[in-house]
Order: sequence, then structure tokens, then C-alpha cells
Amino acid sequence: MSGGRAAPGWWVVLGQELRDVWVGGRGPALMFAFSLILSAVAYLVATNTALNFLEQREAVGLIVQVSVAMGGVLVVIAAADAISGERDRGTLESLLLAPVPRRQIAAGKLAAALSLWPAAFLVALPYVWFLGHDVGVVGDAVVVGLVVGTLLALELGALGLVLSLFSGSNRVSLALSLFVLLALFAPTQLSAGAQQGWAGDLMLRANPLTAGVHYVGRVLVDGHSLGRDADLLVAPAVAAVALAAVALLAAGRMSLRPGGAR
Amino acid sequence: MAAAVVAERVGKDYGAVCAVSDLSFEVMPGDVVGVLGRNGAGKTTSIRVLTTIVAPTRGRFAVAGVPHTRPDEIRRRIGVLPEGGGYPGRQTGEEHLVYHARLHGASRPAARAAAAALLAEFGLADRARTPLQAYSLGMRRRLGIARALVNEPAVVFLDEPTLGLDPAGRRGLLDHVRAVAAGRGAAVLLSTHLLDDVEACCNRVLILHHGRTVAAGTVAEVVRLAAAPRTAVVRVTPDAGARAAAVLAGVAGVGPVLESPDRPGELRVDLASGERPADAGPALQALLDAGIAPLGLTLEGARLSDAFLEMTGAA
Repeated sequence: MSGGRAAPGWWVVLGQELRDVWVGGRGPALMFAFSLILSAVAYLVATNTALNFLEQREAVGLIVQVSVAMGGVLVVIAAADAISGERDRGTLESLLLAPVPRRQIAAGKLAAALSLWPAAFLVALPYVWFLGHDVGVVGDAVVVGLVVGTLLALELGALGLVLSLFSGSNRVSLALSLFVLLALFAPTQLSAGAQQGWAGDLMLRANPLTAGVHYVGRVLVDGHSLGRDADLLVAPAVAAVALAAVALLAAGRMSLRPGGAR
Repeated sequence: MAAAVVAERVGKDYGAVCAVSDLSFEVMPGDVVGVLGRNGAGKTTSIRVLTTIVAPTRGRFAVAGVPHTRPDEIRRRIGVLPEGGGYPGRQTGEEHLVYHARLHGASRPAARAAAAALLAEFGLADRARTPLQAYSLGMRRRLGIARALVNEPAVVFLDEPTLGLDPAGRRGLLDHVRAVAAGRGAAVLLSTHLLDDVEACCNRVLILHHGRTVAAGTVAEVVRLAAAPRTAVVRVTPDAGARAAAVLAGVAGVGPVLESPDRPGELRVDLASGERPADAGPALQALLDAGIAPLGLTLEGARLSDAFLEMTGAA
């Protein structure tokens, strides 16, 4: 093998996975579905804003929260398919036969799944601008959305990858990932009373999803500065780093059988 | 010349289940070795162990001179067509080969050049841009072998490459297998349960049974080792058939004698001879001594299938 420079394995895997996601049609289809949901939400919040049921800042906050949450869902769907999907389709063995370390294969696949997040955020930007340019929160919304969304996408992508490594089938992997995602989102639906007090506050801050979503609300709805509630980003940041590390460590044992049994 | 593959008492257990218990053999460069065995004999597990997809539970092996303790290095020097194939339906043939060549360390231009050459070699150049989901089974198998060659491997493992192919497809694919060994000097291990494939293109054979190597060597050696029965068909005049059968039955080293019910005077003689090579001479001499003139004698040598069935207890 000569002529030109060889790319590292993870880069080659990433390139192929990006083609599969974006040229293969799955990415554009997910983006289309995402834009439909966002359009529906934007229409509803814009209507409520016009009727004075919702402040403009709240509308922007809601759009960013929905974008961040939906971006996470898209990433987890892609990541949950990464290994178990290859197993189901019978294509994992030929990939494992390549002289590329398992962790590099996983890194390439995780990065490809993460590509859905910036694409989703790009789709969300016109909605943010439309709802927020009158009240001057577009800049903050972009920064907050990017930071929180990136952290959540990384942790959810890593979570999906871990579940994909250990699941016996793609259906199990996807179902488990969405179940965990719903479980993490559940506290946001608790009544305001249940979210008060030290226990409620601890639950809010310890759960990376609720912490991230609340940070968005504090900055965009309550008008706090970016740094004032930065402690709410501790859980999302720790979860992102920890889960990414766990995913890459577990990927070292990637094998034809779920759970790394070789 | 150093062996391309050396396996010494390799074993693989899945929990309490022993999939491969004692795999020992050597393969030289340029050899085409047929790995034979009934379903569940351990063929696929053996290949997965040797290709480093699963770790051995015991024993040791080396592929292309690289010990099994360096799996990444082994994977650089082997090409594999796994049992499942592994063809992503959306990729085109060209994309698929370029991708795998790049995974093996080729630069993009080198990978494209290798892919183009292999697609042409395997008769797929005109379908290079066709998605794999539109490929026929035979085309996919040829592409699979092409994929196994993207890194110019020293050893090629093919797991059931002809399964499900029509006769013409099988013959064409086996021609490619022979060419891989002859043209590239690579050792080829071809796992199959189709004995005709082995007889058609392998110079050596390895028979597995219940995860053990029960025979290894050239096809002739394995047949001899199995002491497979040979048969002779003797033709005498119809009126002498019964007497000839009685004479032959009394000859040492001759087994059961059966007269054909449809063809009077045609006797099927079992020349099973244990450790000794089969010899029709004494039977022929006994007929002549009894005054019976043989009208014809046809010897049927033992085939690989006889040896295989005997060794795997499936007769």
C-alpha cells in the first residue's frame, strides 16, 4: 500500500459513516422530521406570544430547549444503531477484521452520530432568530444552545454507543436508549412544587438533562448572565466526559457477541 | 519456506461448550486447503479464531509468521471472506473496496487504484457504481473475495464461499480461488462442507469433527488415511455370475460381493483392505483359476467423500 498518506482508522470510519448518514438518506430524513416538529412548536409559541400567553423570551427559551432535546434524541438514535445495527446487518465482522483498533472504530461512529447535532442546530437557527431578534436574545440563545446541546449530544451519543455495544439486537439497543432518555427527561415534567427544596434542587442539578434544560431557561427566560448559573453545567459536562470515556473504554472489547465476549 | 499458518492445539470454549478442542495443522504459502466438516464441526469458529475475531481459549497459532498475541498485526496480513459476507446494501462495489483498502492503511488514491484493479480482475468493473443491494449472490461473493485481497494478504480465509451459488457461479468462484493461490502465492483456507469444491480446487484438506482435527494432508493422503473402501465392478457372462460371486467371496481381502439384479453377470466387489492398499489382483487371479473369464474389470478409487463420511462417522 503506497502512494499518498494513509488516514487514521477513526477518520476513515468517520468518513464512511458520514456518507452513510448524510448521503444514505437517514440524516436528511431525520432533519426533515426535526424541522416539522420545530415548525409546529414555533407556530404554537409564536401564536401564544401574539396572544400574550407567552413572553417572547420564553418562546425563544422553549425553542432552544426543544432543539437541544430533539438534537439529543437524534444523536442517541444514530449512536444506538452504531454497533448493534452492524451486528444485525451482518456487517460487523468485516469491520472487525480490519486492522483498526476497536476504539478508533467506535470513535469514528460516535463522531458521525454527533454530526446530527450541529445539523439540527443549524436547522433551529432561523426559528431562534425569528422569535428572538426583537428581544435581543439571539446571541445568548446561540451560545447557550451550542454549549448545552453539544454536552447533551456527547453524553447521549456515548450512552447510545455503550448500549449498542452491550445489546443483543438493534431493537433492544434503540428501546433501551430511548427509555433512558425518557427517564432522564421525566423530572422536567414534575410539578413546580416537587422541584423545590434541597431534594428537588439536587435532582435538578444531578440529572444532566434537567440541569442543561434549566440552564437554558435561566439564561434565556430569566435573563441571567451566562456565568451566573454555570454550576448547572457541571452535571452535563461531567456526564459527557464520563460517558464518552466509558464508551471508548468499553469499545475496546467490541466483538461479534454483545457485551464484549470474545 | 516458512509456513503461512501454524496452529498448535488451538481450542475455543464458549462457556461450558467446547467449539474447537484441538486444532493443529500447518499451511504453506500457495496451498489451497479445504477445511471440511459437518455443520457444527467448528469450521467457522476455527476461522474466527485464526482471523483474531475471537480469542483462543488455549493453544497457540501464528499467521504469516505473526504470533496470535499480536492480532492487529495478523489482521494486516490476512484477507477474509466471513460466512455472513457483510455487504452494506447502500454502498457501491467501488466504495466498499475503497473503504476496506483505506481501513487497511491505503491512501485514498492507492485505495481507488486497488479497487479498480480488483473490480476488473473479478469481472465487476461494469457494476462498480451499483449499490450492493442490487448485486446477485455470485457477484457479492466475488466482491467479498476481492475485498479480502485489498491488502495483498499472505493468507486468505474463505468461509463457505460457494454456498448457495449455481454450478456456473461455483466453478467461476473456485477458478478465482485457485488464481489467488497460484497468481499471488497466498495460502488459502477454504471452509466448506461441499466436498466437490475441495476436490476441484484444493491441494490439501483438513477435516474437522466435533472441533478436532481428524485428518490433515493432501487429498490422496487423507483418503489413504481413512482406509476408505475401494470397489471393483467385474463383468462375467450372465450364466457364470453366481459361480463367480462364490469364487470371489472366498478370496482373502475381498468383502461382500453383490450381483446386480438388473445386469446379470455384473458383480460389485468390495476391496476393503484395512491398512493395506486395495488390490484387485487376487480376485482376478481367483476367477481365472476357476476357469471364469472376466469380460471386464473397473476399479473405483475411494473418493474424498468416502473418507469424509468415514472420519466423521456419517456413513
